[in-house]
Amino acid sequence: MMARCLARFLVSLLALAICNAASVSHPISDSHRSAALDVFVPLDGSYKSLEEAYEALKSLEILGIDKKSDLSSGTCENVVKVLASPSSALKDVFYALSVNGILKCKTGEDVPKDIVSKLQAGAKDAKLLLDFYYSIRGLVLVKEQFSGTDLTLGDAEAIFRSVKALSQSDGRWRYSSNNAESSTFAAGLAFETLAGVISLAPSEIDQSLIQTVKTGILKLFDSIQKYDDGTFYFDGSEGPISTTASVIRGLTSFAASESTGLNLPGDKIVGLAKFFLGVGIPGDAKDFFNQIDALACLEDNRFSVPLILSLPSTVISLTKKEPLKVKVSTVLGSKAPALSVKLAEALNSKGSSVINNQELKFDADSATYFLDSFPKNFDVGKYTFVFEILLDESANEKGYITEAQTKVPIAATGAIGIENAEIAVLDSDVGSIESQKKLDLTKDGVVSLSANHLQKLRLSFQLTTPLGLVFKPHQAFLKLKHESQVEHIFLVKTYGKKAELVLDFLGLVEKLYYLSGKYEIQLTIGDASMENSLLSNIGHIELDLPERPEKAPLPPLHPTDPYSRYGPKSEISHIFRVPEKLPAKQLSLIFLGLIVLPFIAFLIGLTRLGVNIKSFPSSVGAATSALLFHGGIGAVLLLYVLFWLKLDLFTTLKALSLLGVFLLFVGHRTLSNLAAASNKLKSA
Amino acid sequence: MMNLSRSVALISLFLLPLLSFSFSVDNPTDRRVLVLLDDLSLKSSHSIFFTTLKSRGFDLDFKLADDSKLALQRYGQYLYDGLIVFAPSTERFGGSLDSKSIADFVDSGRDLILSADTSASDLIRGIALECGVDFDEDSSAMVIDHSSFSVSDGDHTLIAADDLVKSDAILGKTKIEAPVLFRGVAHSLNPTNNLVLKVLSASPSAYSANPSSKLSSPPQLTGSAISLVSVMQARNNARVVISGSLQLFSDRLFRSGVQKAGSPNKYEKSGNEQFATELSKWVFHERGHLKAGSLVHHRVGETDEPAIYRIKDDLEFSVEILEWSGKSWEPYVADDVQVQFYMMSPYVLKTLSTDKKGMFHTSFKVPDVYGVFQFKVEYGKLGYTTLSLSKQIPVRPYRHNEYERFIPTAYPYYGACFTTMAGFFVFSFVYLYHK
Repeated sequence: MMARCLARFLVSLLALAICNAASVSHPISDSHRSAALDVFVPLDGSYKSLEEAYEALKSLEILGIDKKSDLSSGTCENVVKVLASPSSALKDVFYALSVNGILKCKTGEDVPKDIVSKLQAGAKDAKLLLDFYYSIRGLVLVKEQFSGTDLTLGDAEAIFRSVKALSQSDGRWRYSSNNAESSTFAAGLAFETLAGVISLAPSEIDQSLIQTVKTGILKLFDSIQKYDDGTFYFDGSEGPISTTASVIRGLTSFAASESTGLNLPGDKIVGLAKFFLGVGIPGDAKDFFNQIDALACLEDNRFSVPLILSLPSTVISLTKKEPLKVKVSTVLGSKAPALSVKLAEALNSKGSSVINNQELKFDADSATYFLDSFPKNFDVGKYTFVFEILLDESANEKGYITEAQTKVPIAATGAIGIENAEIAVLDSDVGSIESQKKLDLTKDGVVSLSANHLQKLRLSFQLTTPLGLVFKPHQAFLKLKHESQVEHIFLVKTYGKKAELVLDFLGLVEKLYYLSGKYEIQLTIGDASMENSLLSNIGHIELDLPERPEKAPLPPLHPTDPYSRYGPKSEISHIFRVPEKLPAKQLSLIFLGLIVLPFIAFLIGLTRLGVNIKSFPSSVGAATSALLFHGGIGAVLLLYVLFWLKLDLFTTLKALSLLGVFLLFVGHRTLSNLAAASNKLKSA
Repeated sequence: MMNLSRSVALISLFLLPLLSFSFSVDNPTDRRVLVLLDDLSLKSSHSIFFTTLKSRGFDLDFKLADDSKLALQRYGQYLYDGLIVFAPSTERFGGSLDSKSIADFVDSGRDLILSADTSASDLIRGIALECGVDFDEDSSAMVIDHSSFSVSDGDHTLIAADDLVKSDAILGKTKIEAPVLFRGVAHSLNPTNNLVLKVLSASPSAYSANPSSKLSSPPQLTGSAISLVSVMQARNNARVVISGSLQLFSDRLFRSGVQKAGSPNKYEKSGNEQFATELSKWVFHERGHLKAGSLVHHRVGETDEPAIYRIKDDLEFSVEILEWSGKSWEPYVADDVQVQFYMMSPYVLKTLSTDKKGMFHTSFKVPDVYGVFQFKVEYGKLGYTTLSLSKQIPVRPYRHNEYERFIPTAYPYYGACFTTMAGFFVFSFVYLYHK
């Protein structure tokens, strides 16, 4: 499992390294500083725990960012509280003291007595590595921060031995004596603890003991992991960054505490520095702290201080005549001692050497080394530059180390000359030129050609490097784009001095899906070493191809435009049926008048005729029945009017049947009265 | 023992509201996200992306892609609402996970972020293919662009892309000013799949090839047909982001400055962080998720919904549409929501006007065709979830007594009737009593 994890980590980091063309490390720079402010953002003016506060403050201090005043009040309160409380855990006391070391919340002679005795007791009774670590390191911090106390460990050598007892034969350490699992991370903690014991010891610790620790350290270096580009790291369950940082911290303290000095392999120390610089800018606060703290340890230690060679840019532009700049600095970006940088070799892509043994000039103002003159045969392309750093004798005291050789991929770019660009339509069988046009590829042309399937299209141009050699670009495409968005790409290949593409349409009809019509011609020329890469719309060609046979393949579909997929549709409103056309109201009224006229004429006629109702019965009984009869008729007529106005058929019929019976009865009475009266008249 | 079980019960009681705080219709933002990595170091190299997710309240569960205990569901219940697959080289997932179970996961309406990279495995390609995305078959190919690359790059494979989809729903209202840095593999979209769309496209001069070897045949993918990052919104509103570059999400590119070749503008920070953050807001339904209330309709001047309309009735229609903001439902404002009055085909199609408080309304006259109609609101907008609502309502013709009663044109006929009746009445006197 572990090995697989590791292999994967390796693969991915390698992939990163390969993609990231320059596997050149860069020292810590301003981008780290601005990132630090984002990473270590306190919540409401203070950090969640003292551990986090320490990590943030330490990282900011190393990077030279002064945020102490903003943070000190809240954090200091916590520190004082922890130091005053007798029940604080060892871990909290340790981190409180660590924070105190940076913020100086509590200083001077005023030694917190209970704390000291607590730590001393802790160191004496400790069984676990972490207890040793917190109490011993805590005591070291008290010694640094508060003057005038006797903090010597009574039984330093015994403590040293009990810590040492936790070590394993492979250089790793266990966290406790009854836990067999060992870890590299713990080894780092153990070194720090032992360093503390040595510095607190009243008398010298037995050299043989120290010597066994040193051999342990060398053993630990046997388990170091390596990448192909010379990067080294320690792996462990805490993750490579934490583990490696812990080991480096431990080594630095250990080397600082004893006088004989550690003799560690220099290439591995540089590899460790490259590992941390290769991490980039971690987004996680813990990783960020580990990276910065470990680099700070590498910056200032007693075994070896790695120097890092970095290039502001791995691209040299031959047109701008920029010099190649190289910087050498320590991992945190501070100035390197006097030294000289030599370009040992510059290999081109074929592996042959172009530049040999050339010393770079030094510009003291910008502290850069530069190479301003390139040999005459230095052309565009990809190179591998091999640099060597030569330290001056005087600078060697501090134990500076460098990589033996730094290989840097360099891309030299330049303006590529484009000449003799022409496009022509040829007759297929004879090869005679039908129409030929010169092209200026830097501008969008408006070439307009036409061809049928028996003809050929020829495009040719010449590309030359600044040295006048033939240049073969990585990208030289001719694109034919039909009106229906169907695209065809053709490679323009270089033959001899000329890049040429001949399209024989007879052989291409199937590939062009028998689509006749207008094709836009687009030429793209580009290369990583070409500064004037171009995308040129040459113009268009009108192709006249034969009809598509039944079985020929159809042109491929094209994705629909996402913007047109949605969006409002056009509104629909219903068209209502047009009502029938009716005559004007006035016309109806006129006709109503005309209809009423006969009735009036009838009334007038009646009066003219001199009608009378003299035979209306005079007897009371007959008159009553006659009145009821006519009233009945009137009621029926009124019923009809009501029927028209509002009644429905059922009510009307009901009322009508009642009225009908009534009418029958009174009608019969009236008519019989009338008949009796006329009979009387006749008989008289 | 007794005590233990009691405390377990107590704990689960406390946990209950926590558990119910996961994916639901009323709270569509994902909460529990499984992150599959092919290497745990990605956790620290991509930590900014993960930290922003955590700070927005997501519960990230990091697992190695070949962890043998991987499972998306247990006892038929999904354990996660979202899945991030940052494992481009994984050939086989561990546990019960495979490309089919990921497809099922998306089919259940859950969301996915999938990132491939150069040398992406067949497994990752297969999952992408299910979403309508075809990665370049050549496993050594990368996107190369000699015109819009980042100036710091000598290989022209670090693309400074700025051809972003124009959609506030997907990429947020703030414009992404700085170009987005991309280094990875190209893909194209399946033309028959209309659910997938390009979010970040390459420039016309881009192509997909192996940068370190000469081309012997034309590249499969060129120009703006290359998609760098695509999204898919399934019909069930599950969302998928597919990126051709894992580095796009990395801390290194988040923090990196960018200057596009040939452009004088230099940006302190690339657009990657904003792009990735906004895209993750979209994919986990913190934006662009719509919810509609029921369709409300009634006759003009009334408030109750009738059981049936008569032809030519005037009616008022309204619907409430809300958008999920990640925390609460906010009123949705748009001017392109439409309603259809539909029977086999739309008889009326009207754009609704909004009161900016989430209510959309309109009024129209019922067509003079009777039958069973539907009010239909089918709303789709780029980046938003689709709404599809309908409500059935019958429409009847006039009843016999609802026609016009006193037609002016018929006045002569009415007049004829009544004068005849009056004449008869008069005549009855004259006839009977004349002497």
